[in-house]
Amino acid sequence: MSITEFLAALQGSGLATSIRDSLYLFPFIESAHVIGLTLVFGTIALVDLRLLGLASTRRPFTLVVNDVLKWTWAAFALTAVTGLLMFITNAGVYYNNFYFRSKMAMLLLAGLNMLAFELTAARSVHHWDKDSSAPLSGKTVGVVSLVLWITIIFMGRWIGFTTTRAGTESKPAEEINLEELFPTETK
Amino acid sequence: MVPFTEWLSQTSLSIAIQTHLWIIPTIQSIHIVGIGVVVGSVFMMNLRVLGWAGRDQSLQETVDRFGPWMSASLCVLLLTGMLMVIGEPARELLAFSFWFKMFLVAVGTVFASAFMMAVRRNEPHWEESLVKRRTTKWLAVLTLLIWATIIVLGRLIAYDHIWGSWSGTPRL
Repeated sequence: MSITEFLAALQGSGLATSIRDSLYLFPFIESAHVIGLTLVFGTIALVDLRLLGLASTRRPFTLVVNDVLKWTWAAFALTAVTGLLMFITNAGVYYNNFYFRSKMAMLLLAGLNMLAFELTAARSVHHWDKDSSAPLSGKTVGVVSLVLWITIIFMGRWIGFTTTRAGTESKPAEEINLEELFPTETK
Repeated sequence: MVPFTEWLSQTSLSIAIQTHLWIIPTIQSIHIVGIGVVVGSVFMMNLRVLGWAGRDQSLQETVDRFGPWMSASLCVLLLTGMLMVIGEPARELLAFSFWFKMFLVAVGTVFASAFMMAVRRNEPHWEESLVKRRTTKWLAVLTLLIWATIIVLGRLIAYDHIWGSWSGTPRL
């Protein structure tokens, strides 16, 4: 099965069809996606700002992380599920969309950035846990993370503006060109 | 509201936003980043009240930690929100979702301010009695629900037609 066939199968599935046909499902799935992503971003930013020494500096780093990490993952699961549900409604278009691809690449980079943190600054966390900021490797991870996640939010919004689906963000009726409907006149 | 909407859409700032197609998505993206900071702050403060996070810090410390981020973000949200209204007056001002959202933003802001002021005024009292009361915990849950609903309504502005006749946005 080629990727094109796979995407077409996704798009033609009963689940994708029922989301597309419903007046309410797509808006509410998208809303849940935004609730999830604001929690993902909010809790990650909290950790990044702590690494940089810009927030929660009087609280040990490990305590800051322990408070939020489970919520970050729960919220990320919500965005992944709702993101997938939105994807299947128009899989072919999203798959070929530049901003969608960039966003997926950046999510991967954000994951690698977390891995880099685990392999560097996190190993010596007991040395700097109570310091007001992390060592250089930790600060770098913090900056990269903030830049990536803010860009991911921008990319996500751009996906909405560059992929149109009847009944969603676009205003279909407005796009009807009378000349195309009645092509009698010469151009 | 319709004449005001028409007037606003003809102002030079509105026309500038309308003609540069990258401005609206940029403002919306900044708006979402701002919501992320508000949600993160509200979430952490409410988790503290519910006793699910940061229990080693006092309420006062928790409010001092997140309050300023929340206030600053609300200012960013107000500014970007106003730019969106100026750029797309009919989409916002005639939408049922928009006014319902504004109402809940007012309620949410009053809740947050009242909470922060109460904590600043008599911290020990709060620490020992109020936080342990069931009503306070329910208020924390209610606050989280209010902000979640604000997000849903914000997204629903783009789909205001789902409200049927309650929506005043033009169906072109």
